[in-house]
Amino acid sequence: MNPYLTHLRPKSDLYGRSWAKPRLNMAACGIVWASVPGERSHESFTAPWGGGVQANRTGAPDSLEITSAPKQTPKWGKVLDQTRCIGCHACTTACKSENEVPLSVTRTYVKSVEVGYFPHTRRSFQVTRCNMCESAPCVAACPTGAMYQRDDGLVDFDKSICIGCKACIAACPYDAIFINPEDQSAEKCNFCSHRLDIGLEPACVVVCPVEAIFVGDLNDSASRVAKVVNREPVTVRRPEKETRPKVFYHGAHQATLDPIAARRPGGDSFMWSEQTAGGDHVVSGHPESWNNSSAAALLSYDVPHRAPWDWRVSLYTWTKAIAAGAYLVPLLLILAGSISWDSDIFTQAAPITGLLFLAITGVLLIADLSHPGRFYMIFTRPQWSSWLVKGGFLIAAYAGVLTLHLLATVVGLGIAHKMLAVPGVPLSIMAAVYTAYLFAQSKGRDMWQSALLPPHMFVQMTLAGSAVLLLLAPAIEEAAVTPLALVLAAGVLGHLLMVWGEATLTHPTAHAHLAVWEMTRGRFSNFFWVGVALVTVGLTAPLIGPLAAPVALAGLLAHEHAYVQAAQAVPLA
Amino acid sequence: MTERSLDDLARRVSAARAEVEARGETFYPGPSRINLAAFPPKERWDNWVELDSRSFPKRIEKRYMLVPTTCFNCESACGLLAYIDKETLQVRKFEGNPEHPGSRGRNCAKGPATLNQVTDPDRILYPLRRTGARGEGKWVKVDWDEALDELAARIRKAITEDRHNEVMYHVGRPGEDGFTERVLATWGVDGHNSHTNVCSSGARAGYHFWTGIDRPSPDHANAKVIYLISSHLEAGHYFNPHAQRVMEAKQAGAKLIVLDVRLSNTATHADHWLSPYPGSEAAINLAIANHLIQNDLYDREFVRRWWNWKEYLASEHPELEERFEVFEPLLKELYKEFTFEFAAAESGVEVETLADVAAIVATAGTRLSTHNWRSAAAGNLGGWQVSRTLFLLSALLGAIATPGGTYPNAWNKFVPKPIYSPPHPLTWNELTWPLEYPLALNELSFLLPHFLREGRGKLDVYFTRAHNPVWTNPDGFSWIESLTDLDKVGLHVALTPTWNETAYFADYILPMGHSSERHDVHSYEQYDGQWIGFRQPVLKVARERLGESVADTREVNPGEVWEENQFWIELSWRIDPDGVLGIRRYYESEKSPGTKLSVDEYYGWMFENSVPGLPEKASAEGLSPLEYMRRYGAFEISKGVGRVHEQQVSPDELTGTAESRFGRVFATSVKPPSCNVVPQATPEPDQFGRRAVGVRIDGEVLRGFPTPSGRLEFFSTTLASWGWREHALPGYIRSHIHPAALSPQQMPLISTFRLPIQIHTRSANAKWLDEIAHSNPLWMHPVDAARFEIGSSDLVRVSTEIGHFVVKVWITEGIRPGVVACSHHMGRWKLTDQGQRQMMATVDLDNTDGRWGMKRRGGVEPYESADADTKRIWWTDVGVHQNLTFSVHPDPISGQHCWHQAVSVSKAEPGDSYGDIFVDTTKAHQVYLRWMELTRNALAVSPDQTRRPYWLMRPLKPAIEAFRLPKVRA
Repeated sequence: MNPYLTHLRPKSDLYGRSWAKPRLNMAACGIVWASVPGERSHESFTAPWGGGVQANRTGAPDSLEITSAPKQTPKWGKVLDQTRCIGCHACTTACKSENEVPLSVTRTYVKSVEVGYFPHTRRSFQVTRCNMCESAPCVAACPTGAMYQRDDGLVDFDKSICIGCKACIAACPYDAIFINPEDQSAEKCNFCSHRLDIGLEPACVVVCPVEAIFVGDLNDSASRVAKVVNREPVTVRRPEKETRPKVFYHGAHQATLDPIAARRPGGDSFMWSEQTAGGDHVVSGHPESWNNSSAAALLSYDVPHRAPWDWRVSLYTWTKAIAAGAYLVPLLLILAGSISWDSDIFTQAAPITGLLFLAITGVLLIADLSHPGRFYMIFTRPQWSSWLVKGGFLIAAYAGVLTLHLLATVVGLGIAHKMLAVPGVPLSIMAAVYTAYLFAQSKGRDMWQSALLPPHMFVQMTLAGSAVLLLLAPAIEEAAVTPLALVLAAGVLGHLLMVWGEATLTHPTAHAHLAVWEMTRGRFSNFFWVGVALVTVGLTAPLIGPLAAPVALAGLLAHEHAYVQAAQAVPLA
Repeated sequence: MTERSLDDLARRVSAARAEVEARGETFYPGPSRINLAAFPPKERWDNWVELDSRSFPKRIEKRYMLVPTTCFNCESACGLLAYIDKETLQVRKFEGNPEHPGSRGRNCAKGPATLNQVTDPDRILYPLRRTGARGEGKWVKVDWDEALDELAARIRKAITEDRHNEVMYHVGRPGEDGFTERVLATWGVDGHNSHTNVCSSGARAGYHFWTGIDRPSPDHANAKVIYLISSHLEAGHYFNPHAQRVMEAKQAGAKLIVLDVRLSNTATHADHWLSPYPGSEAAINLAIANHLIQNDLYDREFVRRWWNWKEYLASEHPELEERFEVFEPLLKELYKEFTFEFAAAESGVEVETLADVAAIVATAGTRLSTHNWRSAAAGNLGGWQVSRTLFLLSALLGAIATPGGTYPNAWNKFVPKPIYSPPHPLTWNELTWPLEYPLALNELSFLLPHFLREGRGKLDVYFTRAHNPVWTNPDGFSWIESLTDLDKVGLHVALTPTWNETAYFADYILPMGHSSERHDVHSYEQYDGQWIGFRQPVLKVARERLGESVADTREVNPGEVWEENQFWIELSWRIDPDGVLGIRRYYESEKSPGTKLSVDEYYGWMFENSVPGLPEKASAEGLSPLEYMRRYGAFEISKGVGRVHEQQVSPDELTGTAESRFGRVFATSVKPPSCNVVPQATPEPDQFGRRAVGVRIDGEVLRGFPTPSGRLEFFSTTLASWGWREHALPGYIRSHIHPAALSPQQMPLISTFRLPIQIHTRSANAKWLDEIAHSNPLWMHPVDAARFEIGSSDLVRVSTEIGHFVVKVWITEGIRPGVVACSHHMGRWKLTDQGQRQMMATVDLDNTDGRWGMKRRGGVEPYESADADTKRIWWTDVGVHQNLTFSVHPDPISGQHCWHQAVSVSKAEPGDSYGDIFVDTTKAHQVYLRWMELTRNALAVSPDQTRRPYWLMRPLKPAIEAFRLPKVRA
């Protein structure tokens, strides 16, 4: 099932609550639309309204008829008319005002790019914000339904149930979502749904001096929005992401629509503001001098975005690989006949190491939430297309297996170990590999949509599991050292092959290419190459034994960090 | 705070069309042209319910009272609608005012950001008096009474001791039409000083010499061709109202031509962006004019009827017959040198481009709208010829006061006559109107420190109001030297809503209200119509709607922030408490004589008596005129004013007429009373004292223009007779930064451009704006960057005549190679903790005998305040204060400061840090003296023993007696 196809989405959660909130069903309540049933009334735009202003407004050359939308659920769309936009940022501050958006984050802003060579130069603007996708990756990725789609197509959010996992941010191919530093919950442009619901235009639409922003019902072919969308050359951002945006750009330049089309200026300055690069900031434009644009293009104003997942997520993939591998590797050794079912490695070291690292994993995951206290909502109001939810349950189930496994050890019930291995094998593998799906659900991060990722995570769990156990083996069971060292070396070999493939194969998209560039040659190349070098030491495990293990583990951690961060270092907006 | 059903909500609060119309209320359509309203119906402005955006989708209802006021950032004066939370009685947000005819409910970024200015944690809330030395930064909170009493006593003493010229009021953004000028008139002082000569007086002079009116009113919306030497899609005069109309015209197929050295947001929308070498704009205008003239593409009939070509012939070719057919070949001869090749050589713009643009202009007919404001007119020696030559294009095509053409602003502006009209003062202040500048349209404000240094006078009480000369004007260190000299400036009072660099050098800082905390009335020419807007203290209005009585804005404003209207009334009363000086009577209530005039009565009287149509409109809604303005904030008086100059003078006025040889008609009739006291020139009466009533054209006596001739003055008899005969025609004056005037190392620096999200010294207290724009790197073309081996964001040292500044570089294709540019909006600073911590760097000043240095101690950083957002400030940069390093460049005719600088740019030197500034004020004074040598003193050139042509516009015009030249002058 493609989690991005909303029509396949489950309609209710575990508790039978409707997924799209029924109380927001506008058609049912009929609050906004004409009271004449079934009739669409077309009246002149110059119809009665206030005083002298009326006369002025009628001067507009593009006076269109006002439509009262039919009494059916609308499909809200928006046009950003870049042929009109004068880059004044009225929408930016009107939105800050209407939605009380704090400094350092924005729901909307106006990116600008200078295109061309003097004197044939232009400044291209892009009003940048949520694209109100019909197949919204943020909705699919949200573990609690805090990010949800209304019946009228609006993607809205409910801050009261946001756990702050940032999966929506990672999922958004437009980097339009952020965590509000005031309330720690995710938010974005919602077309001012609180205004739409009482019949008011969104704040940015009202303020715009040149009427460059307007909304309407895409189902109503007579609406101004539908006319422009259907008759004018409009574009959507990143159509290849299959999100089917309902925000249409009229007359936008490719140099703004494509976030890496323009060159990112060197130094720390834009045209009139600081460029906050570095750290976890992601600035639009291509960091290298080359660009994708048909013309010379230089980014001149942008708002820095933050990579949603920091070192805690890099570390979590590592601890989880250890936790998963610590159980699976000895089990594989048993099946291969290298060690026995009652080996201490399997009965004690595996569950204890597994549970310990699962606990660390859990702590990291919770610590990464901006609402750690709401962690439980993953389980109490799961949104099943979210891999965070699936992963949470997988980890919980795997933790259950490990706990029972340890219990069996304590009570000396050997048969239980064998029985538990039946769910234990798939659960440990899934606990390691589900992250590939979690990452891939981050639709914006091209490097993560890789077929290599699930097998790679499997390889990494064997590498990590064998390395950890190799450290412990001399004290527990000398005989396990050699097989573990062999597994480690094999894991390292597999890992290096995967990395080699990742780094050198032609990439499917420019974004994936740039991410790999950032990993191997850009901002994270230090981590990457240190990782490669240290992991390679793991190949010598059959020769130097446990000494190779910590080196390989450190290398894997460095690699994970480079991999997790590089994918997020590509500008999306 | 309840969640209610949507049906109930819809019934009560929906602004959607069907519900609104079912309720019989006003539906305000928005740009989406659907059932959504842009604004709540006006019938619900007393009690409007909205859903709280933060709590959504939980439906928390918030109740608001909507009160209109006017934005007080740029000059456009767009309407705002304050949403006042009925629980807290504080402003929750500002939106546009749909009842405002100019802005039509829309705003730029600065409109919503007004909220930041009101809630700014760093604003000045109480009157402050300095305790240490002036400029030391030590302040103590004082009572308003204490400040008022000291001020009143000093001013009274100055007046009674006949030291009228020692009282000066120096205003930046007026934001109002005439209130304070009249205050000064009641005191009998010629004490008005403005910022206009660092802003728009160059452009004004060019328009004024043509029409007797100093501003254009282009009808962009209906134009076929729009020709801008300005950036009205991003800057004031009138940014938002004009941007709306320019884009409307563009959507309807109009062609947009923009001249701007750097790529503005306006230029980016142009069909033709011309980036001329700075100062060559007039040459381009003249080349286009020449194209129209040589190819007979101009409106012959219009030129014949309305140009004063007869005066030209009589003055310059007295031997020739005064016939149009004689003039036309001369016209061809006059402009034939201005070929496209000539303009291309001067401007660097290609011949083909110029020819294309000229061809487009020629297609416009009477639908050519043109606009020059600041920009080139404010940058160059002779910049006033930029607007004069631009108007030449309109005048050639007859595109004057036509649909899609350009109107004189006075026809699209309405200044209601107030309750009292004090007489013109009898004094002449040479600190603002020196004899060297008989033709300057505005005060030589920026020369004040040099005049004081030369001992031309001194100031006893000096008000600065919404003005920051230390930061805004060139040569700020000379300002600091003057302001810290107690002998030159006895008492400096800064009237300001917020900290500024000039206020640091004040004796009193008196906190004045922002846009939603004060009263003003104003009118601006933004289309062919006339409207007035009402700025009002919204919390006062809200409380009054709730039945409370608020006599004084200090009761509702934060801290003890006051409004200026009431301050001036109170101060004037205290200057003349017993009425002996004749001042008090202008501040007495008409309704109850002997008591103080209230602000309500002042505006109530004005709206009842001076605004045609308003009483009727108000009464139709059951409101008094004042109540109407309080409710809607704006009123449109007329629309489609049309060709005022073509109106026939009524026979009633044509009594005792006499006619000059050129058809100027004078009459003995009394001027019919008008309640519109819009400023315009006042053509002088004839030798028998008959007033100029019109001009005879083809047998009819028409209203004409307020010029000496009554016609459009192609040939300015004033320039010709006041010593500038060589510039009496629209022509080209080579700029002080013309290539021929520069050394090989020098290049021009364009220092004046605005950003769409900041406004001079006024918006540093708006966090949303600061977050967007907070730096002013030096724009440089890649070719130049390569020449200097400079990379993006590298530091450079920019050296002017008197010093240098150190700044970052922005390498861009958006500027002409060989020219650099730096926006003037940035570089705010403070010496101590006092100031805007969001947008001011902390600096150290060092002065050794006029050799000034400024070093940056720190940029902006996050800080704790009542506003949680200040902890989230992420920018550190605030830009560089380049104006400090500029010497004064007064244009000898217009008096406009010519902003462009000849600079040399080099890599920063060892020890240079970002924001460093060095200036030698001794050199600055020498530059001043060099420019003064260009002037032609009235003592030498006055044709009639007056200081200045009486007919010219002048803010706070003195009585005619004061115009006489002084008898002796050393």
